[in-house]
Amino acid sequence: MPALASGAPKPGRLGAPWQAVILLGPALLAYGVFAVLPFLDVIRLSVMRWDGLSPHAAFIGLANFRFIFTEDAVFWTAFGNSVIWTLLSVAIPPAIGFALALGLNQKLRGRNALRAMFYLPVIIAPIAVATMWRWMYDPFFGIVNSLLTDAGLQRLIQDWLGDRRVALYAVFVAYVWQTAGFAMVLFLAGLSNVSPTLLEAARLDGANRAQCFRHVTLPALGSTITVVIVLSLINSFRTFDIVYGMTHGGPAQSTQLLAFWAYTQSMQLHDFGHGSAIAVVLLAVTALVVIPYLRWTQRREDAA
Amino acid sequence: MKRPDWFLVALWTILVIAAALWVAPFVFILLTSLKTEAEIYATTVFALPAHPAWSNYAQAWGRGNFAATFLNSVIITCIKVPLGLLLSAMAAYALAQMRIPGRNTVFLAILFGTMIPFQVLLAPLFSLVNSLGLINTYVGVILPYIAFGVPYQVFVLRGFFRHVPKEMTEAALLDGANHLTIFWRIFLPLSLPALAALVILDFVATWNEFAMALVILQDSGRWTLPLGLMSFQGQFASAYGQLNAAIVMTVLPAAIVYLIFQRYFIGGLTAGAVKE
Amino acid sequence: MVGRRILFAALLLGAQVVAGTSGTASAETTLKVWTISWDDVAMSGFKQMIADYEATHPGIHVEEESRGTDEHKAAMRVAINSSAGPDIYYMWGGLGLGGEFANAGASAPLDAAYAQYKWDDRFLPSALGDSRRYKAPQRHGVPFLVHGEGLYYNKALFKRAGITAPPTTYAELTADADKLKAAGIAPIVFGGSVNWHLMRLMDELLETECGAAKHDALTSMQANWATEPCATASFTQMKHWADDYTLKPFMGLADDQAQGLFYAGRAAMILEGDWFVHMIQAHTDISNFGLFLFPTGTGRLYFFSEYFYVSARSQNKAAATAFLDFITSPAEQQKHLGQFGSTSVDKGIDYNGRTQPLDMQWNRTLASTTGTFVNGDQAFPLDVTTEYWRIINAVAIDTMQPAAASAAMQSFIANRHH
Repeated sequence: MPALASGAPKPGRLGAPWQAVILLGPALLAYGVFAVLPFLDVIRLSVMRWDGLSPHAAFIGLANFRFIFTEDAVFWTAFGNSVIWTLLSVAIPPAIGFALALGLNQKLRGRNALRAMFYLPVIIAPIAVATMWRWMYDPFFGIVNSLLTDAGLQRLIQDWLGDRRVALYAVFVAYVWQTAGFAMVLFLAGLSNVSPTLLEAARLDGANRAQCFRHVTLPALGSTITVVIVLSLINSFRTFDIVYGMTHGGPAQSTQLLAFWAYTQSMQLHDFGHGSAIAVVLLAVTALVVIPYLRWTQRREDAA
Repeated sequence: MKRPDWFLVALWTILVIAAALWVAPFVFILLTSLKTEAEIYATTVFALPAHPAWSNYAQAWGRGNFAATFLNSVIITCIKVPLGLLLSAMAAYALAQMRIPGRNTVFLAILFGTMIPFQVLLAPLFSLVNSLGLINTYVGVILPYIAFGVPYQVFVLRGFFRHVPKEMTEAALLDGANHLTIFWRIFLPLSLPALAALVILDFVATWNEFAMALVILQDSGRWTLPLGLMSFQGQFASAYGQLNAAIVMTVLPAAIVYLIFQRYFIGGLTAGAVKE
Repeated sequence: MVGRRILFAALLLGAQVVAGTSGTASAETTLKVWTISWDDVAMSGFKQMIADYEATHPGIHVEEESRGTDEHKAAMRVAINSSAGPDIYYMWGGLGLGGEFANAGASAPLDAAYAQYKWDDRFLPSALGDSRRYKAPQRHGVPFLVHGEGLYYNKALFKRAGITAPPTTYAELTADADKLKAAGIAPIVFGGSVNWHLMRLMDELLETECGAAKHDALTSMQANWATEPCATASFTQMKHWADDYTLKPFMGLADDQAQGLFYAGRAAMILEGDWFVHMIQAHTDISNFGLFLFPTGTGRLYFFSEYFYVSARSQNKAAATAFLDFITSPAEQQKHLGQFGSTSVDKGIDYNGRTQPLDMQWNRTLASTTGTFVNGDQAFPLDVTTEYWRIINAVAIDTMQPAAASAAMQSFIANRHH
């Protein structure tokens, strides 16, 4: 069969190349202008000095990077927090989600209702989650300290969002509450691919629950685990709303994360150069994770 | 008679307790939203309000300018979701069914977009939208929303369209149909289940979006619900009853949509990420 | 066909705007005024002022747009390079905010208007200070509001701690704080999550420890924070207040939460402005509360002003200054007394109708003030303010020692690329 794309168009009809342009063009145009262009622009801005509005931006080489690495008192705090945040995000919500998925994959009464309850926080606006938890952490009237008092655990009472030693973790608890359901749903989907006949065969062979899990379920979940971990990683880089709403980076910038510090520099202090340099650092870290993952996805797809 | 499986009984109990813990914040917020200030200061956290203070809702609605923010959210969501999905579906069809030179590279470039933390692009996005004169406009926020929605939707729909045998398209082409017709008449109806899932997913994502709206919609008259809630928290942090009523009003629409369309929702979420 | 005529008029108007004609053909001049959203009373007062002006000045239409504080700043930044901006804009007086915009060229110098309308004779000396902060002979902006800040106290709690009269020196203040503490009363409350609340304490302490001249040199970044011992001493005092005198926990609280605790008698003092009189009145019985100025010992008032500036891009500068002259005229000020704040910017206002003692106390204070010092966030440029806040908070939460704090302040200032 001749290649369709090269077929000469009949008069009055659109040729295949034009059809491709019409179908692909609008999405590519939107994506190119509003996603790719800012992506390239942030790299350009990272070597400029610019206040975001004046007509002129000055090229200053790597001075912004030198500033954030050596003189910015907050950058390394934000960097360290981002590392802690990412490690915790990759470990804890997926672990909880995994445990919930294993439990809710059993034939239990009301399991759909239970799944819905665990998933509900995922669909709530992160900014609303932040507002909710800010109120729950209220040192004088919030639920957390009230319950601790009722339980006779006054010594555990904290200024949850005002104490630099606990604030980041207090925010993270809210983040876990919001995101564990997401991991759970992905794991449930992965579990639905575990062959029931294989499980049945293993059981007939006398394997107990632990053995079935270890030798049948877990191997079948290999790629799901990778997907969940990478998605958790990427989502952790995106954390913004919840910090904005709960602590705004405080107290004393001790809960800053890279994405939020980049925003603060550019949009609140009007220093687009510093902000973009911080953004580029985060993008570079993202690329280190994403590029191998994309190649892995491609290989999987080619094999499929 | 079957012996009760004690393992499952224990598991069920643990899960029910965990679920109660998981929804406790909602209960707390709901109860607070119905209490007067005096009750909040005086009663324990899970005490029921003596007389539900519905006035909290009315006052929060007015002070938070909810009528305007709600309308803005509805307008933006109702334009963005169908339009964005249509563009994504068109592109996904082209990438899945047409022989376009370099289409794998194009796809990879789009796929990369699912991985970018767009939060770090807020500043250049602001200056781009500003240079187009679209700050404080619906269009100014809808276009970036579409751009950042395209990658995931194209990814999912392309996967869906690829499973349709190419022979079908080729037969239709031989019958004289062009790709636009095939997309519109055959593929779009075919992909309705996947589209439904993506509609729900995209509805919630758009409804909840905060960061881009924050930099592009700077005028309170154009604010969406999340921006309105944030401003409410900033101004009335100690009006606890009203603040919680504001939270409930912000969260409720997405929660209702989710509870109604739960089935589709989870389908849309997992379609792209975990495939058999 | 009225509809058709309106449409036609609209098209004509649109064509005029597109063509960029200055509207000589139309009798109507439109003045666009951008303000922040004041409270309801102030907002309706301002609208009434506009109505008064339009009634006496036919052919001039004043269009008011108000926004939240942050949106207003953001909108102004966007407007500064576009012709779609306002003719008159509201901004704080200090160099940090008003100055930032004026120095960026957003504001038109008003020297001629000051001479023409004799504004120097009209306004309180304290109100005029911020118009003179620019390279002579340039004057920018017209004062609209003046605010003083001081310590409000709970009379019952002071009495319970055995304090009979408000302190007049810093030593007496700390001695009183010790008495309160000994009586089991939290001496003061701050909302730490909004950075500017605790900053007020630091501003007052700098004035106390450094004196007027050195404090000004520090906030204008002329003096060296690291080598000026009074800077470190101020941070030391700040830490002392945070550690020993402030109701805890406070870093997670917003300002209005702190205010709620103050109304409820959970702390004896709060550092607030003249507007706080009305806030107390709205929440509780104001006769239980008193007011004194933070005893810095310099005699200067902790103060800031709010101004209207004429936009440099305005096509109607003469009409704009005439409007500002009208709303700041003694007659209008007297008519709207109390709607915007405790005290008018004008001299010679009659406050005799007033009954609220705390308001009267502010009237006397503001009218008699000559020297002032301004809030840190209005003195510093934005980036320095952000660092100032971070350092204050870091000292308050014990991650930074006072000496390190003044060193950090200086190194940030030295590293700025401006």
